[in-house]
Amino acid sequence: MSERTKKILCGLGAALAFGCGSTPTPVELLDARKAYDKAAKSPAAQLAPAQLDTAKQALAKAEASFEDEGDEPITKDLSYIAIRRAEIAEAEAGREQAERARQKTDKDFRQTELAAAEGHKQTKAQLEAERKARLAAEKQAAAAMASLNEIAKVKEESRGMVITLSGAVLFASGKSTLLPIAQDKIAEVAKALKDQGFKSILVEGHTDAQGSVEKNQILSLQRAEAVRSYLIREGIPSDKIRADGIGSSRPVADNSTAEGRANNRRVEIVVEPFK
Amino acid sequence: MKRLLLALPVFAVVLGACGGAAVPQETLTAAKASVSGAEVAGAAAEPKAALHLKLAKEQIAKAEALIADGDNEEAAIEIDRAQADADLSMSLAKEAKAKREAAETIEQLERLKRNTQ
Repeated sequence: MSERTKKILCGLGAALAFGCGSTPTPVELLDARKAYDKAAKSPAAQLAPAQLDTAKQALAKAEASFEDEGDEPITKDLSYIAIRRAEIAEAEAGREQAERARQKTDKDFRQTELAAAEGHKQTKAQLEAERKARLAAEKQAAAAMASLNEIAKVKEESRGMVITLSGAVLFASGKSTLLPIAQDKIAEVAKALKDQGFKSILVEGHTDAQGSVEKNQILSLQRAEAVRSYLIREGIPSDKIRADGIGSSRPVADNSTAEGRANNRRVEIVVEPFK
Repeated sequence: MKRLLLALPVFAVVLGACGGAAVPQETLTAAKASVSGAEVAGAAAEPKAALHLKLAKEQIAKAEALIADGDNEEAAIEIDRAQADADLSMSLAKEAKAKREAAETIEQLERLKRNTQ
């Protein structure tokens, strides 16, 4: 006997064996409604719409059964099934959520890996470039040294690298103006020094022992300054180079011979290296 | 379910007889297949999934007993319940697996980030 029929008969006031009150909703159906509500409010609405719809239909079937049959076992069974369908919708949504999260993390993983590899590559490339630059600089310095050795007498001393230029090549006798050839030579020295790199330069003027100590002192200083000026003209930074007049106080040869005196008349360019 | 009800002759409904329905072999086979599927998906290892797997199996057993007694209509309902439980068991097993894999991937990413920084 359907609920509707019961209600009609009730309304007619007929005496019935079934009673006039509407059957209370079975707890299983109440649970089914709750289960569906929960699923409908969960991510299942977005992530598992098909399963949620199945759950909705299952609930509708249970409701229809309750309307038609009342609190019969079939209603309880259909409610049981409806609860399961609602739970399935939620589980499917949970699965979809986890799947999406995994995919996103996978993507992040690949991107992070790529970035790390790129960074690795860059570091390697950087190191290689630095190595090449170092090699090139060393080559340049070596070439500069070689050319210096061709221009002048070069000697390593404790005070630094000493480039000795003969006085006769640089100046006319007693003068402190650079000869034209000397300018070329000094230009070459400047280039070699720039290529090689240095910390500081000291230009020392030396004379032989002929003439007064004072005159020699002045001449040697003027000559050293002339060389210094020309080096600066050729690009040596002025704050890294200074000039000194030594006069005849540090001979390198015997002043009693002409050759010795010639050797003493010189300009020494002392180069203090970086290291 | 609807299929079965339509198949029942009217007098059988009035008399409440249940011997007129056919043996629900197709749906029974399908439910059993779903139970196997859930087991393959790892339902036994997941507490919630395992519970519904158990319920599904119990209801299948009940259905088979009802079929043996000739209660095909009642058996059909048991099978429907079993099917729903098997489906839920499968979904729960797959959800658990997906969550595990997502957690592993996150752990992998964290490790990678730590190692490259």
